[in-house]
Amino acid sequence: MKEGFRQAMAWLHTWAGLIFGWLLFAIFLTGTLAYFKDEISHWMQPEVQAHALDDARSLTVAQTYLERVAPTAARWFITLPDSRDAGLSVMWQDKIDPGKRGNFITKTLDPVSGEAVQARESMGGEFFYRFHYQLQMPYPWGRWLTTIAAMVMFVALITGIITHKKIFKDFFTFRPRKGQRSWLDGHNAVGVLVLPFHLMITYSSLVIFMSMVMPAPILASYGNDTRGFFNDVFPATNNAPVLGQPGKLLPLVPMYEQARAHWAGGHVGRVAVNNPSDVNASVNVFRAGSDRVVHDFGSTVSFNGSTGELLRVSAEQSLPAAIGGSFYGLHMGHFAGPVLRWLYFICGLAGTAMIGTGLVIWLGKRQLKHAKTGVMPFELRLVEVLNIASMSGLMLAIAGFFWANRLLPVSFAERSDWEVQIFFIAWGLSLLHAMLRRGRQGWVEQLSLGALLFAAIPLLNALTTSSHLGVSLVTGDWAMAGFDLTCLASGVFLGWAAWKMHRRSVPQPKAERARGLTLKPEAH
Amino acid sequence: MKSKTSLPASYRLAVTSRVLAAVVGGYLMASLAAVCLALWMPTSRADAVITGMMSSFVFYLLAVIWCFACRTAWRAWFGVMLPSAAFATLAGVGFWMVRT
Amino acid sequence: MLLALLMCYAGFTALCLSTDRHHGELLHSKPSPRRRVGLRVLGWLLLSVSIWPAVSLAGWAQGLVEWCAVLMLSALLLVLLLPYRPRLALILAGVGLLASPVAAFATL
Repeated sequence: MKEGFRQAMAWLHTWAGLIFGWLLFAIFLTGTLAYFKDEISHWMQPEVQAHALDDARSLTVAQTYLERVAPTAARWFITLPDSRDAGLSVMWQDKIDPGKRGNFITKTLDPVSGEAVQARESMGGEFFYRFHYQLQMPYPWGRWLTTIAAMVMFVALITGIITHKKIFKDFFTFRPRKGQRSWLDGHNAVGVLVLPFHLMITYSSLVIFMSMVMPAPILASYGNDTRGFFNDVFPATNNAPVLGQPGKLLPLVPMYEQARAHWAGGHVGRVAVNNPSDVNASVNVFRAGSDRVVHDFGSTVSFNGSTGELLRVSAEQSLPAAIGGSFYGLHMGHFAGPVLRWLYFICGLAGTAMIGTGLVIWLGKRQLKHAKTGVMPFELRLVEVLNIASMSGLMLAIAGFFWANRLLPVSFAERSDWEVQIFFIAWGLSLLHAMLRRGRQGWVEQLSLGALLFAAIPLLNALTTSSHLGVSLVTGDWAMAGFDLTCLASGVFLGWAAWKMHRRSVPQPKAERARGLTLKPEAH
Repeated sequence: MKSKTSLPASYRLAVTSRVLAAVVGGYLMASLAAVCLALWMPTSRADAVITGMMSSFVFYLLAVIWCFACRTAWRAWFGVMLPSAAFATLAGVGFWMVRT
Repeated sequence: MLLALLMCYAGFTALCLSTDRHHGELLHSKPSPRRRVGLRVLGWLLLSVSIWPAVSLAGWAQGLVEWCAVLMLSALLLVLLLPYRPRLALILAGVGLLASPVAAFATL
């Protein structure tokens, strides 16, 4: 540690990056996919029909269904369909046990017929969304781990900036076909050029779970009354308690109209009804997150469910709430239209690539020292196996998830759970494979298999459903076509990567190898 | 990177100490800084708490950077505990003021 | 977004050309001090002015987000093109600048 500030930061960057890099790669890749979770769900449940959006009809249909199926539930949630998610989603919670997380039942309804959609059971894109912040771990451990990883990511980003001595001089520098130098140039390029996104996404992920990981201020300011804090920040959660007397819930549509009038034509995202069969029923109408960049958690209009009386309109956001809402809104990207959504996706891929190239560089630099002996010490072999499993292995798992969706029988009851299990089984098998095969072979074989699986998805789609490219391109179902085409492109990319990896394992001419070994040691 | 056999135990101990100072000490410092902001900011209670929580991660980052940039592991702890004590004092005063 | 993209890309190209190394790679000559300053000014000007079309169409919140996205990705595009298709990279900048008034007219 006596070497100097930059060297110390380089040390920190390298070790923090390595230890959390594998986890962060998974978080970034699945998080990036989550930007298109609705489109992924659409591909994975092609039976859900899209209809012209009619909020009044959807709301009426949902209310009728819930009154029939869950009249005595403690809470109802109705999520209205929008341009990306054609499903009318209803959710209800049987009863509220204080302190325990509720038992929720979710159903997707057809907004025209009012019946539950007969679509194959699948988590769809929601799986990637959930995974990227809670992994597959029980509550709350997954979130803690991902938030810790986010803090390490933040440290890695800042130490990376400090370490990169020639950040301005090398701003436009990318020198391919030069071995380790190229990997470092690439790492720097996707890091520095997309830095605003990386800093935003990392810091905002800390802010999103800040109440959980940094509760000290809440306790210091509110003492035992943490409920009071959440009521102040989310006024819509402060609802009238059950009175015990039966009441009749009024139609929700007029309340919806009134709420929209308050927002000068803004869109409604969700409607939540508390204690619908009680005389103290309350209805909270939430504004759609896609309306604005700055997410307003408090933007709700609340009514008494049985009298229709307007109880509360949320106030203008304070500056701190707006700042918090900005972090949330920017991270989620709900407001993004199709073009901007693709840009978010590309930025996410850049972040994923930044982490991936970092992991490759870490190993590559140290492998050079052992290249002559041909035997890798245990620690390096461990890193190599984890690199392969966490990167190409994860991609195989994702492909497996999509293949399972098309191959598992539609009527199979536990198919949703099995899709997820196959994801993890594929990932586990790739880890096993990486342990059994030598480094280069492991990469080449997994990348090749990934290339095959992804490139074949449009074909798989054509063989198993009637919503393949021939149909989706003609009818203008861009989500469906986009999914097939993106998988194809991913397959091509993985194939190219496999080919390059294969070529490098072929012995190079002596001059090139010598050049590769005499790289100038940089402060990294 | 030195080869495995030549890293002395004292080095490993120092690194471990710095890591603990950064992770645990840093969290403590960040929490106390956040509490200070929450108690001292002239805005509403909820707003002050939100501001405190949002800013805490910057303090955490500074603590982590200090712990690895300073010259010895002792300095790492010192550099994190001293501000923590200062924040704790300020927070204590703020808490007492709110009470009375 | 298109106009902002064209301007950002051209701006980054100008900034890139203002460095000795890249000017040498792309135009096979060393830039004179005057040219260097001129390119720097042009580059920064294009980057800052490109905020205006982004914000005027979509408002400050959405506009700034779009501008940031366009800024990052135009830089990435340039840097990835430079080693493989340097002439195309330059041509795109030139075409972009020429097309800017047309894009401005069409969208604003």
